[in-house]
Amino acid sequence: MASETSDGPLARWTQGVIEDTEQRNRLYRSLFYVVTLFFLVTTLFPFYWLLVLALTPNSLIRQGNWDLPFLRPQGFNWEAFVEVFQQIPFHLYVFNSFVLALITTVIVLFIASLAGYVFGRLEFPGRGVLMLGILAISYFPPAAFLVPLFEAFTGNVVVLPFVGVELFKPPRLVNTPGAMVLPFSALFLPLSIFILTTFYGQIPEGLEDAARVEGTTRLGALFRVIIPLSAPGVATASVLTFIAVYNEYFFSSIMALSNQPEQWSPLVGGILSYQTQYTTSFNLMAAASVIGVLPVVILVVVAQERIVSGLTAGALKE
Amino acid sequence: MAKVTLEHITKRYEDVTAVDDMNLDLRDGEFVCLVGPSGCGKSTTMEMIAGLTKPTEGEVYIGDRNVTKLPPKDRGVAMVFQNIALFPHMDVYDNISFGLRLRDYDKEEIDRRVDNAADIVQLEGMLDRMPDEMSGGQRQRVAIARAIVREPEVFLMDEPLANLDAKLRVHMRTELQRLHKELDTTIVYVTHDQAEAMTMSDRIAVIDAGELQQIDPPLTCYNSPENLFVAGFIGSPSMNFVDGEVTQNGLETEYFDVALDPGTIDGLSVGQRVTMGIRPEDIYPVAVDEGLQYPTNRIPARTDVMEPMGDEIFVYLLLEGAQEATMGTESRGSGQLLMSVDPDSDIQEDEEVNIVLDRSKVHLFDTTSGEAITHDITTTPVTEGRAERGETGGDA
Amino acid sequence: MSAEEPESAPTRESRKSGALVSAVRWMENLGETGFAYLLLTPVFILLGAIALYPLLRTFELSLYTNVIGVGDAEWVGFEHYVDLFTGEADSNFPGTTQFLWGDVTVNGEFPFVHVERLLRSALAVTLIFTVVSVFFETLIGFGQALVLDQDFYGRRWVRVAIIIPWAIPIVIQGMIFFLMFHPSAGFATDILAPYGIVAETNTLNDPASGLLLAIVADIWKTSAFMALLILAGLQSIDRSLYDVAKVAGASRWQQFRLITFPLILPTLGVAVLFRTIDAMRIYGLIDISSSCSVVPSLSCMVVSTFTTQRGLSSAVAFVTAGVIAIAVLGVIYQQYREGF
Repeated sequence: MASETSDGPLARWTQGVIEDTEQRNRLYRSLFYVVTLFFLVTTLFPFYWLLVLALTPNSLIRQGNWDLPFLRPQGFNWEAFVEVFQQIPFHLYVFNSFVLALITTVIVLFIASLAGYVFGRLEFPGRGVLMLGILAISYFPPAAFLVPLFEAFTGNVVVLPFVGVELFKPPRLVNTPGAMVLPFSALFLPLSIFILTTFYGQIPEGLEDAARVEGTTRLGALFRVIIPLSAPGVATASVLTFIAVYNEYFFSSIMALSNQPEQWSPLVGGILSYQTQYTTSFNLMAAASVIGVLPVVILVVVAQERIVSGLTAGALKE
Repeated sequence: MAKVTLEHITKRYEDVTAVDDMNLDLRDGEFVCLVGPSGCGKSTTMEMIAGLTKPTEGEVYIGDRNVTKLPPKDRGVAMVFQNIALFPHMDVYDNISFGLRLRDYDKEEIDRRVDNAADIVQLEGMLDRMPDEMSGGQRQRVAIARAIVREPEVFLMDEPLANLDAKLRVHMRTELQRLHKELDTTIVYVTHDQAEAMTMSDRIAVIDAGELQQIDPPLTCYNSPENLFVAGFIGSPSMNFVDGEVTQNGLETEYFDVALDPGTIDGLSVGQRVTMGIRPEDIYPVAVDEGLQYPTNRIPARTDVMEPMGDEIFVYLLLEGAQEATMGTESRGSGQLLMSVDPDSDIQEDEEVNIVLDRSKVHLFDTTSGEAITHDITTTPVTEGRAERGETGGDA
Repeated sequence: MSAEEPESAPTRESRKSGALVSAVRWMENLGETGFAYLLLTPVFILLGAIALYPLLRTFELSLYTNVIGVGDAEWVGFEHYVDLFTGEADSNFPGTTQFLWGDVTVNGEFPFVHVERLLRSALAVTLIFTVVSVFFETLIGFGQALVLDQDFYGRRWVRVAIIIPWAIPIVIQGMIFFLMFHPSAGFATDILAPYGIVAETNTLNDPASGLLLAIVADIWKTSAFMALLILAGLQSIDRSLYDVAKVAGASRWQQFRLITFPLILPTLGVAVLFRTIDAMRIYGLIDISSSCSVVPSLSCMVVSTFTTQRGLSSAVAFVTAGVIAIAVLGVIYQQYREGF
């Protein structure tokens, strides 16, 4: 009966929304901002909390007197960021991660460039089947590769499956970059292949022909013309590979037998060291995490266009 | 400078034969156009000369070298592409010098050659521009300069003017001819535009369905086409074709007869199905045929659409008894002829006219094989009287 | 003019080593197919050695028993697989975890299925984790994509904010949630426990809480991935379709239901499959936020047994691969239909 007279403010507003486009659009607009804000808060809050934790002295953390819901830091204790490097050589772990990521990126980019050229620019029988095969292999879980790889990387003889023929005795790779770079390269190669296939396939045929007539070989044309012209694609593949290696957990935590930086244990090992050795130094765990996150955050801010295009190109292969 | 020889070149893809047993002999310093409709195999032929495509069978020679197995870079050829194909990440200087730098020429030599080439194509002062800062014509000049600096034995040009606007295209034609004079190098030029081929080349190689149809100087192709395809392809508007049958004293077509003595022409026999070809400019209205040495008998017709071109008028003729049908320059039905007359002619649309054909310009082709039989049916001067009889059915 | 070229080119080449020149010449004369396979050789070697060989070898090892350090490998056929599915092998897994769920009692009381048993099963945990997290990731990802599809000031920065969780290392993702629910450092338990959402004490060692934690952490990190894929799909929709719909008088909801949703569906399908495959590999997040004995996943089982029970570990690994292969087949079918 209130709606009958349209008297109440709520009823009037409802009526307005239904009848007035202008008002309806305003409603949509404000709804949109609410939703956006919600997403911003949910994605960024954990980082905020990590920072709070890192800045709060450990003794205060354990008291657990958080002033909910804002969780202000209980005092500013910058020392945690220094202490992180004093308790363990955290910088060495990060350095290892960088080295591993760089080596993997170089290997993956080189191999994927050749493959991307082949899949993007050549017509040959078996092309579709091979691409599907690479796609399928990239989906298998690392766990399915672990046992034989660990066997081989610890220096056991590689045996041809089901035939029993002993092939060769590999060097002991665990605790060296090789034990991680090899699985990383295989794991992240397919994504780069698909990204580069898309980019290399878009370079006009004439440019390659021109380069070849001018004096390059087919490979020369790839490196002198196609790759330079696909710079955005190469950057995309590099960034994604780098991030993927930096973020990897499975092989990173297993192939360095203990969490020692001398054994090429990467970031994972550094963070785990705090969790297992300094079990109550919560501010250090948080500070280490903040430091570990920084490189990728910078990378994402700088290269977000590349990441967005690469993820969609690689996944949807458009 | 070198001659180019293709011997029994065949290129097969999985289910199509793009080029079929092609033999070509291009002379040193010659400007040859490979011309044909799209998909005829002319580009594939050029790619095989360049080495971008390997022939399935046959050998390619440049000069006296067999280059069949050589990669493009070692063939001493330079190429200008239809889509211009400048490297967008390099400035003009780097584009032009690309091939020289690959070959480790020293800096002074590169500079000298680039300056010289830029001079030839009038690109001075633009060497530090990027390709996307240039107009289509300028880009094309860079592409040509890139070919020139290499001082190649053979220039290959794959429809280099196709992407330019009409005015620039005509201008570049003369530029290319000037360039050819200046460089005196063998140029192989692919185009689907027969006018381009006619105006520029020393010889035209007409290609259709992967096979070489004829290779001759432009006027030879125009005046003595070896088969129906060449006759129809060269010349614009194209030749009129009329199917007919050879009789004792002439040629009988659906709408008119032409008197001739089949006995005097090699390869012609009574009862044979032939196709007569006559170019629009070799058809005359009766009023102006006086000067004609070898006219045919008069053929009654009615004018239909007229297209004044300025220097001439195209008149579409409907032969007596023929149905009016859709007409266009390129698709003329039987019973229709296209005639070209002087611009000051007083012919009107929709009026009865009598026309004669210049018999010295009548081409006869075998209808089934398409091969030319003769390009001239004047060997036996036919008197007006005999022609009259021929026209009425003939009782010779 | 060109007389110089034929002479100068060979002399230049002869400066390089003859073997290199002939190798280059050989490569240039390879047909398209030969050249393609030549360039793919590194791919074949790398994937063959690091993926294909281990996969086959894993299967072979799963047919042998090999308790590390206890004698030679002994052929046992499919015994490990039988053990897995009968529960014989469960004693080898950490804590009270199992491969399959044992007898799930149904006694008419709510909840009808006794969740505790299910949460001890690696297979069940992996599947529950996958289904629940992918479902919410799709939902939230869709929401984020719809936001990012709008034109507004600061869109770039909102996008960065949404992507960042996707880009952070798993170990830090796990650490954040570990700390959040840690009994002495965290605050989340205090907030959520009163509502019965997580266990009040020892949250990180409670199976249900641990699984919930992993699911929430995964949703937080990977919704962005879904959002980006869906966004790409949204942006490929022809905008003029919306103008047509507007002219026809469709409301926003109708536009979404009749245009956006059907057109985005194929993209959504691909994205969901991708995430499903990825989610089923879950290991690191669990390892650091709670532990493999609390929240057993298939990969967890492999890692926790591979140094002691090589054959059994291989069997679990191969079953994991098999489960994922089902989803992979879905992707392959999808690609095949699109004419790969």
